[in-house]
Amino acid sequence: MFNLPNPQIGGPELFVLEFGDIVAYFSPYTAVLFAFALLFTVLVIVSRPERQVDIAFGGDAYYTKEVEPDLLRFQRFMAIACGLATLGAMVTGDVFNFTLFASMIGITNIGIVAAYRNRHVLNAAFQYGIVAMLATVPLFGGAAIVLSSTGTLSMWELFTAAVAVPLIAKAFLVLGVMGEGMAPFYIAKAEITRAQGAPFILMVHVSSLLLFLRVMEIVISM
Amino acid sequence: MTPNRSFITRISATISRVENLTALYALLVVIVAVLGLVTLPFIAYHDDQLYPKTLNPASTLDPYDRGGVPFGTTPIKAQYLENSPYAGYVTTYLTPFSQWLADTTHHMGTTIVAHPGGIIDEILYNTRGFDTVVETSILFVAFAIASYLFRRDE
Repeated sequence: MFNLPNPQIGGPELFVLEFGDIVAYFSPYTAVLFAFALLFTVLVIVSRPERQVDIAFGGDAYYTKEVEPDLLRFQRFMAIACGLATLGAMVTGDVFNFTLFASMIGITNIGIVAAYRNRHVLNAAFQYGIVAMLATVPLFGGAAIVLSSTGTLSMWELFTAAVAVPLIAKAFLVLGVMGEGMAPFYIAKAEITRAQGAPFILMVHVSSLLLFLRVMEIVISM
Repeated sequence: MTPNRSFITRISATISRVENLTALYALLVVIVAVLGLVTLPFIAYHDDQLYPKTLNPASTLDPYDRGGVPFGTTPIKAQYLENSPYAGYVTTYLTPFSQWLADTTHHMGTTIVAHPGGIIDEILYNTRGFDTVVETSILFVAFAIASYLFRRDE
């Protein structure tokens, strides 16, 4: 039905899924990202939380940490939602739809880290929340500039050579994705990776990484 | 805390604190926003917009009157018309009750705004229905987080 105007970056088009004006597409590039996100979503669904053991030094004592069912259920739900948002962001063919999925990834990331009770983790989650909320301004601003200066939002049109997207719109898009995908910094700083309920945290890293790869494809193709 | 720390050590020490990352990101946003303001005169508004918006204050559906006849076919503007052959503007989809409300009162436009889906403006572009699904999902996730955090300590 369609043909990708610029097949050098994403490769030839494999499959197209139409939602009205929003046309999701699978090229080798987006299909690989999609498969990767799908794999990690499945891993999140089937995996069980890590049970940690703290060993008291200088003796034989050790104590195990309990993972509350409530926390487990909520974090698994958030991680699955994050995985679904990542799946959408990987294959969508519309700039505004992509920014929506990006901000959904940001919100689910906040949800994953905000479920803890540790004070320093909550501090990090709060700081990340501020950045993610601030990032929606350049994110949606970038999409708005794209729409107003080119008259369309469809990547199939924007990727053609005839349509010139202003540099500042691309910069805004990248900056917005930077803010939404900044969560791994906070995770590393607050050392949440080894906190209880560990496997769901990995979704934060996966989604941020994939989001960066996708926005690079979009910005270079435009 | 040696007095003669190198430049790189100082930068590294600054951004190693989580609290400073917000300020750093805000600084980046300010720089790019200033660049955007500088380049703004060189960006031209594209006249042939795919999603046009006109305001008709006299209409009872004011700010949401997009035109079109209810229960009739309305030619719409869309990127890929072949994907939505039966779509029309939102006025085409008014129920008889909404049509009666719009005919007799002046509050139908505000009713759309007060409607949970109405604050999402994209619902008025029927070719972009997928956006509406994602937006409501974002709202749902945000409510889920808020309710979990609120009900956690009872």
